Amino acid sequence: MHTMNKLRASIAGASALVALGAAGAAVAQDVTLEYWVYSDFAQGDALALQQEFIKEFTEQHPGVTINITGKGDDDLTAGQVAGAASGDLPDVFMNAQSVGAQLVEVGALSNLYDQWMAMPQEFRDQFDESALAGCMPKPDELYCLPYTGFGSLLFRNLTVLEKAGIDTSTPPATWDDWFAQMQQVKDAGMYAIPDETLVFNSIAEIYATSGDSSTWGFNWEDRTTRIDPEIMTRVLQKFVDMAPLNSGTSRNDQATKDLFISDQLAFHTVGPWVNPTYEEAAQNSGLKYDFVLIPGDEAGKTGGIRSYEMIGVAPGENQQIAFEFAAFITEKAQMARWATLLARYNANAAAMADPEVAALPLIKVSVDAARGAMDVAAPYFVDSVPSCYNSVVIDYASATADGEYTPEEGAKEMIAELNDCLAE
Amino acid sequence: MSRITVWVVLKWVVALTIALIAIFPIWWTINVVFALPGEPVSLNPRLWPTSLSAGLQKIHMIFTETEYLRAYGISIAYALLTIIGVLLIGSLAAFEFSLFEFPGRRILFGIVMLALMVPTAVTIIPTYLLTSRLGWLNTMQGLVVPGLASAFALFMLVQFMRAIPKDMIEAARLDGAGHFQIYWHVALPLCRNALVTLAILTFIQTWGNYMWPLIVASRPEMYTVGQVVGLFNSPLSHHTVDTVMTANLLAAIPPLIFFLIFQRQIVEGVAMSGTKG
Amino acid sequence: MSFRRYLPHYLMIAPFMILFAAFFLYPILSGFYYSFHDWNGVQTPEYIGLGNYEKVLGSRDFSRAMTNLLWYIALTVPLGILAALGLALLVDSFTGRWANFFRNAFFLPVVLPAFLAATIWRWIYAPNFGLLNVVLGWLGMPSVNFLNDTGTMLYALIAVDIWVSAGFNMVIILAGLKNIPSELYEAARLDGANKWQQIVHITLPMLGPVLFFVFTYGLISAMQVFDKPWLLTGSSFASYGGRRNALLFPVMDMMGRAFGGVKFGEAAAYGFLLTVAIVAVTAVMFGLRTWRERR
Repeated sequence: MHTMNKLRASIAGASALVALGAAGAAVAQDVTLEYWVYSDFAQGDALALQQEFIKEFTEQHPGVTINITGKGDDDLTAGQVAGAASGDLPDVFMNAQSVGAQLVEVGALSNLYDQWMAMPQEFRDQFDESALAGCMPKPDELYCLPYTGFGSLLFRNLTVLEKAGIDTSTPPATWDDWFAQMQQVKDAGMYAIPDETLVFNSIAEIYATSGDSSTWGFNWEDRTTRIDPEIMTRVLQKFVDMAPLNSGTSRNDQATKDLFISDQLAFHTVGPWVNPTYEEAAQNSGLKYDFVLIPGDEAGKTGGIRSYEMIGVAPGENQQIAFEFAAFITEKAQMARWATLLARYNANAAAMADPEVAALPLIKVSVDAARGAMDVAAPYFVDSVPSCYNSVVIDYASATADGEYTPEEGAKEMIAELNDCLAE
Repeated sequence: MSRITVWVVLKWVVALTIALIAIFPIWWTINVVFALPGEPVSLNPRLWPTSLSAGLQKIHMIFTETEYLRAYGISIAYALLTIIGVLLIGSLAAFEFSLFEFPGRRILFGIVMLALMVPTAVTIIPTYLLTSRLGWLNTMQGLVVPGLASAFALFMLVQFMRAIPKDMIEAARLDGAGHFQIYWHVALPLCRNALVTLAILTFIQTWGNYMWPLIVASRPEMYTVGQVVGLFNSPLSHHTVDTVMTANLLAAIPPLIFFLIFQRQIVEGVAMSGTKG
Repeated sequence: MSFRRYLPHYLMIAPFMILFAAFFLYPILSGFYYSFHDWNGVQTPEYIGLGNYEKVLGSRDFSRAMTNLLWYIALTVPLGILAALGLALLVDSFTGRWANFFRNAFFLPVVLPAFLAATIWRWIYAPNFGLLNVVLGWLGMPSVNFLNDTGTMLYALIAVDIWVSAGFNMVIILAGLKNIPSELYEAARLDGANKWQQIVHITLPMLGPVLFFVFTYGLISAMQVFDKPWLLTGSSFASYGGRRNALLFPVMDMMGRAFGGVKFGEAAAYGFLLTVAIVAVTAVMFGLRTWRERR
């Protein structure tokens, strides 16, 4: 069945190629494009599929060679910053939208607006609106094509919940339900949730249970934070309430996954990338789990964050062909194959709507999760976020959870300091 | 026959406990690798290896599905070339600074010694830009050459060569040996131990070097072992603990083997470097 | 004429000095230049006088990193030496094969790459079921979150530090011990000195120069601490220093400003402040030694 899917997908891919071929003028002379991706794109099955995309593209564009390179998150940015300084940039690359402003500042990203507008309407309509908006700081500036992404999910260990006497047939609908379940888990002698104050993204995930994109991120005009003191107070109170229930490990620690797998942890709010690990554990050691939307304060509201990875194109003589390659891999046919292979959500809305893709459970939940979620560091591409910003948020969230401030004081001081940090 | 006193027993207990603390983390890593994947550490604390085949399978997977073997090659070449260069260039300079008098000797040596106190991170960016202007990004010379003029190597070798009796130099000169011949046939053999020590320290240091290869060798063809392991250690990587630990352990094997073979020289060499200073 | 006389000397040091000038002097001087400029690595540097220095000195992270560094140095350097001295005396009290075994066992962690040591220790320190907490659990003690509790993070780092470096210093001190003439001990024994008195009155004074080397070297490297806290806290350029910046150190802050914030001018200024501090401390150390020797 897997091969059938692949076959069908490649036929779809080939037909899309013909459409794309018309859009761009092929380059005659030999060029080599350096293509940088996150390290997990350059391993195993994912790498095989990426190489298939590259093969399809280079067959259509004789003389073009594409080298794919995997990099850890940090190495990707550091490598691009260093590369920009020496003029040795990758031609086309992935990165998070949240580091976009730094990359624009060092000249690693070119404005794709005109090339984008020259693409067929049908192509432009494929992308998720909020993801695309993230690439456009101004109406006539477009610095990236949305690529992959995630909306955070709530992974539930069903064994733990059942042991705590919780009915798992329906996920918690509101924060209050959810928190009540956490307490039940704790009373049953297990950990409810990781320590959500340790990582910026998990703080944001909980903030989103009360706030939304309009009260998170930055006002770049006057360089202030959009965080609302009242909402932050409420959220800090949640951290205080969760303090006795948590496992002490962060959302990203390997240790957290281990607790979850060994039925000691009930909830894990995180992106879909942990799913392969949990799936493997389900097969090997009988882990029973599912993933649902993170509940918000009222029924119908979703917590959690969304964040997109982008494909950027460096300025330079290879810019046109690099853009064509970027447009090719972000196109629906490729993104649908990508989604099917990894069962992972991405920013091509048309691919997500493809019936075969939409039927995949992780994608189905992810689409809803991303729709309701909060942008993690918007608006992007305007200015680089000073490094003090994230650490101030983490500092005050943890200090308040430790009891050093009351939630009101914590929120007030955090916001004052964030504004100082941004003003610098 | 010495009596077995409380103190003797205590001494053994303390020594064995500390040896356990020193060795156990490495032993534990081996056990993590040689255990079935997916078994949570909390259920199987990995006190001894539980599955040989699972470990071999992980190692096989890493060697076949990633560029680990090539990275080994790059790292070994990087380390060997660095060792040869550091020893040669350092000993040439140390020979002069320790045994001869010439205008500018003190000031030049003083400037080089200042470099010992400057954190590498301070010079890394301008050095990178220079390397890139030379067109040396993603090349072996880009990895190796900027690290050759090692202030530490010069410092250490000067300490050793100072101990060479001046009479021996004079005697060789009277026998008609040229300047370079004296260096090659008299000075170098006399500080063989120091050179071996320096080679070993340079190996350990180069093998563990992360930051410089990271920025100067950005293409996978030039990845060192440290960088490949970095891909596994990345927080969002899909790999499970066992695989991550396997990648880490494989990186430690060359220095561990190196140590087991040369342990006497290593330990004596390190000892000398400290006491001669 | 005199130049020709010295020519062979200059030729022999030329390879070293040329490479040194190109890959150390030039970078550090250009770094000095950039430290007075606003520079992101790409645009033309813009002269801003002491702006970068003011910014660094006035920033919260700088004072945090410096406070952490002072505590760290005050603890890790003396504790490290004590541990190394203790290990050396311990190994020295054994003979033959066992002495070799213990010496090698204690030295083993030295040869591991830093990234491996950090990965292993992150697991050992993990709350609840990390090895250390499992042992604490057997002893009936509650789980400690070593790498996230601001009260324990520094000690957790120092423990790893000592685990890695004690073996190295031990070997140096061991060699120093071997150089102490045994007649001294015999004379002391005849005078009725016990083991402890021998250590205090013979071993330590005779080890003076060796301990000075270990101390100074330890101090210089402690001021440059980077990879262990970076890896133990799972730092990245977007967020580093661990919970509440409890393990933020100057070199980490500097690298973060360079590659996270793309502020190369600021990072260069930071580097110079740090270098000046290290040179000053080293100068004081050597000054103290000269002063003591003269006395």
